[in-house]
Amino acid sequence: MRRLISFLRLFAGFSLRHAMRHGGRTVAVVLGIALGAAVFTSVRLAVHASIASFTRSMDFFAGSADRVVVRPGGLLPEETLARFYTHPAVRDYSVLSTTYVRREGGGAEPFLLIGIDPLLDRGFRSWRIEGGGAQAVEAWLDLLREPHTILLTAPLARELGAQTGAGLALEHTSRTANFRVTGLLAPLGLALVEGGRVGIVDIATFQELTGLHGRVDRIDLKFRRGVTPEEIEALARELPADLQLQSPSAARESGTAMIRAYQLNLSVLSFASLFVGMFLVYSLVALNVAARRRELAILRALGAAPRTLFRIFLAEGALLGLLGWLLALPIGSVLVRYLLEAVSRTITTLFVRVRVEELVLSTAELAVSFAVTLGTSLVAAWQPAHEAMRVSPREAMDMIAPEERRRESARSAALLALGCLAACAALLPLPPTGGVPLAGYLAVLLLFLGFALLSPLLLERLAAGLDGSLPRLAGPPALLAGRAVRQGAVRTAVSVGALITAVALFTALVIMVHSFRRTVEIWVRQTVSGDLFVTAKMGQVNRFRFPIPEEIVSELPRLAAGFDLVESRRFLLERGNFPYEFEAMGMETFFRHGDFLWLEGDPETLRPRVASGEGVLVSEVFAARTGRRPGDRFQARIEGSLVDLPILGVVRDYRTDGGIVFYSHRHFKERFHDPRWSGVRFFFRDPPADPEAELARLRGAIVAAWGDRLDLIGGRELRGAVLRIFDETFAVTTVLLVIALAVAALGIATTLTVLVLERSRQLNTILAVGGSPRQIRAMIFWEAAFLVVVGEGAGLACGFLLSGALIQVINRQSFGWTFLYTVDWSSLGLSLPLILAAALGAALPAVRAAFRQPPAALLRQR
Amino acid sequence: MTDAEAPLEPIVCARNLTRIYPLGSGTVTGVEGVNLDIARGEFVVLKGPSGSGKSTLLALLAGLDAPSAGELTVAGRRLSGRPPGDLTRFRREAVGMVFQSFNLLPTLNVLENVCLPALLAGRDEREARRRAEELLERLGLSGRARHPADRLSGGEMQRVAIARAVINGPALVLADEPTGNLDSKNGTAVIELLARLNREDGVTVLLATHSDLADGVATRTLSIRDGALVSPPCGA
Repeated sequence: MRRLISFLRLFAGFSLRHAMRHGGRTVAVVLGIALGAAVFTSVRLAVHASIASFTRSMDFFAGSADRVVVRPGGLLPEETLARFYTHPAVRDYSVLSTTYVRREGGGAEPFLLIGIDPLLDRGFRSWRIEGGGAQAVEAWLDLLREPHTILLTAPLARELGAQTGAGLALEHTSRTANFRVTGLLAPLGLALVEGGRVGIVDIATFQELTGLHGRVDRIDLKFRRGVTPEEIEALARELPADLQLQSPSAARESGTAMIRAYQLNLSVLSFASLFVGMFLVYSLVALNVAARRRELAILRALGAAPRTLFRIFLAEGALLGLLGWLLALPIGSVLVRYLLEAVSRTITTLFVRVRVEELVLSTAELAVSFAVTLGTSLVAAWQPAHEAMRVSPREAMDMIAPEERRRESARSAALLALGCLAACAALLPLPPTGGVPLAGYLAVLLLFLGFALLSPLLLERLAAGLDGSLPRLAGPPALLAGRAVRQGAVRTAVSVGALITAVALFTALVIMVHSFRRTVEIWVRQTVSGDLFVTAKMGQVNRFRFPIPEEIVSELPRLAAGFDLVESRRFLLERGNFPYEFEAMGMETFFRHGDFLWLEGDPETLRPRVASGEGVLVSEVFAARTGRRPGDRFQARIEGSLVDLPILGVVRDYRTDGGIVFYSHRHFKERFHDPRWSGVRFFFRDPPADPEAELARLRGAIVAAWGDRLDLIGGRELRGAVLRIFDETFAVTTVLLVIALAVAALGIATTLTVLVLERSRQLNTILAVGGSPRQIRAMIFWEAAFLVVVGEGAGLACGFLLSGALIQVINRQSFGWTFLYTVDWSSLGLSLPLILAAALGAALPAVRAAFRQPPAALLRQR
Repeated sequence: MTDAEAPLEPIVCARNLTRIYPLGSGTVTGVEGVNLDIARGEFVVLKGPSGSGKSTLLALLAGLDAPSAGELTVAGRRLSGRPPGDLTRFRREAVGMVFQSFNLLPTLNVLENVCLPALLAGRDEREARRRAEELLERLGLSGRARHPADRLSGGEMQRVAIARAVINGPALVLADEPTGNLDSKNGTAVIELLARLNREDGVTVLLATHSDLADGVATRTLSIRDGALVSPPCGA
């Protein structure tokens, strides 16, 4: 304890006072760390809140069931329940169905309608009617005996303006019905699902509204006490082949597994800002060690042990990390509000529907962010602290020549850089670990480190290469700047490394996002082709589970004279924990107007084979996740049919999370069963003179006939919406990038200021021998130019390599999809000069610092 | 207060020269009420203990600092209240500075250090180089021209600094404790060098020092204490 107190005293006297004396640079570094930590923390909190909301909803649904019976891709016949009435292993059973409905009138946001048997469900899920007493009993009885009665949560009732006893018209895919609100749900259990936007109805009412008479989504089972796994297996075997016995947490697990990949990617991306901030900590601690070498030698001469010096500088790093983390909390609290909305929207678009009503301040997430911030700062301070240990007490008397040591450092840094780049190349081809591209992430980290370590040599070489020509063009300021950069290459390299990292990330993500967008544009044009798309009402939100009524299907061709129709039916299936879609579509007509984005297989030979129902096409993601390739067989049970078909080819697809299998609708109907239509798209058979007018006529006719039962969207509108969703998805990435660049600019500003302050004597000498303030300013800008040119040049090279790694390794291993590699030269050409200008702008504080000390001080310095 | 007057054409003319620095809530007096004339071609030694105002006076004469009050004219240019651009031109053309700790730029070699004032003044590079080589030859440093400046001995560094001070042909050289970091042998050599420049090239020298090494070559010796000149107005 006494030791600790004496260390703290030494630390306060030696380090804290020094930090306060140089408050500006300390604040800049703390701000850099704070920004990085704020991004990291808020991204993790935002994703955590989405996961928590999703898992909570899933847990409330799962209730206390031991197993769930489902029918892949379809609905269970209610009579299945009869199997469990007397089954020796089953104690209780219940049914559950869900769908999205909305208040009549259009434009209202859909909410989740849960259909249950109020009697059977009591032992499974927790839900309670608000108020209690006779009123609650009455409401519960109403739900049981009165058709079209509904329980709403209080917030939803307020939103819909429907209090207890009020009427409420709700519309679903094929019909609209008037309900009476019989009571309000207390805020617990099922009432908390989807942020409280739920209503509960009796299963009979549910079936009447949805038209799913005698069918339910699932049957939940509770087993008798002491039931053995063998008995459960026997029960599963007894079920008809088209039914499956699943764990109640299967949906939660598959959903969270998908979100976690997204979380990991965002976490790594958000860590980039913290990684850039790490360079700042290194930069400041290294500067303190270098600038205070003589003081360190004096401390050593006075009896301080090497490990004491090591601890002092490690503590400096820890303090910067701690202050940064504390400052990150208020910054993060602002940032997380924006991120929460953006992240939950992206998760809903790509993976599973989530609705986050409130931010959960997870202690574990805060602990992770604290540990990562502090750990990063300690790692950054480690090397300079180790350097401090090596200061000899002799240096108090005799200063060594720092120039020689710097040269050695630049060379050894370059050697280390080559090692990092070689290790990066070796790690990239390794497969993912448990579905996570760990080797890929490590390779990316090594790539950044490699380029950062190369920067001293690059700076030295650039300055040396321009030593003759540049001063002739730009005069003595350029000469002085080049020499200063050469001398301080190792120290400045740390900030240049930060800039390299930020520019590399920027370049790589610009390339990746552009490549992705270009590919999606082509995919949208080819695969999402069509002039008008029609689905059953609320088909999208209900994931196309409800087919278009037969009477409409039979009438549609009559209304659409002059159009080709491509019918389709989508089924949501699962393979292990991997959810995917099976889409049966009118291939022959589709190939007349559109095409897939082929990845494996010859399109010319495959198109007729696919159209003739010879086999299926699978998406790239499906192939990557299941390991199934052309030549393998696709097997799945869909609504009672066992589908077993050869895989003919692999195509790109970017719908939801991209796992999809395509097959001919006509041949599905012939070989298996009638899948019906969940959607249909219309193509002009021949381009009309006025396509807009023709389309308006068709829309008008369909709306007039079945406007209350169908959703319509124009082809151009749909394709625009897909691209808008894409852009929204990457909006978070852009925010993270801008912050990383801001932290890097902060690094350049700090480094230049520190370099200028360190050389105030030299700058005053230049003034004294005839240099003008303008020449001094020019010199500092030239120094900034050297740093920024190397930072941006190396960052660009690193960014191109990184983009390849992101597209071919990280993305493929995380999400299963790749895209056509295209470089957005115009964006890079426009933004890189802007970054250059911004980084040069970072020289301004250094310029101000240059004139902080009056030149006359020179005469007082001995 | 002592007034110093010189019989010849004055290169330095200070009247009631005062420099007061703010310090916290109070002030510190650097120099106060100095009246000084230095004639062209003089070798003036300014003596005084640490903190007496020697460096402040030199900084004012070099245009590195601005007086709080009084009038100052150096080499025919009035320095009080001049804009920074004028002061830069003044330093390029009229004065050369020599410092106790040499203040050579470690990133430049010897020749480049000597050339620097000429290049900063926008002189022709080839001409500057020729003049620098000539000066180095004269100072016995021609063999060291390409050496990094921070690899020289103290005496050599100060000789390079003197060459740098005179490359633009100033009328006045201001030397602030030029022997303070040197042993007596090297110190004597530096003083002799300054005396030679004074004698042969007619450069006026004002040398602030603690030591007696320059006593033999000075045309006049001034003393300063607590910011005011206290020695007789005319030396030697």
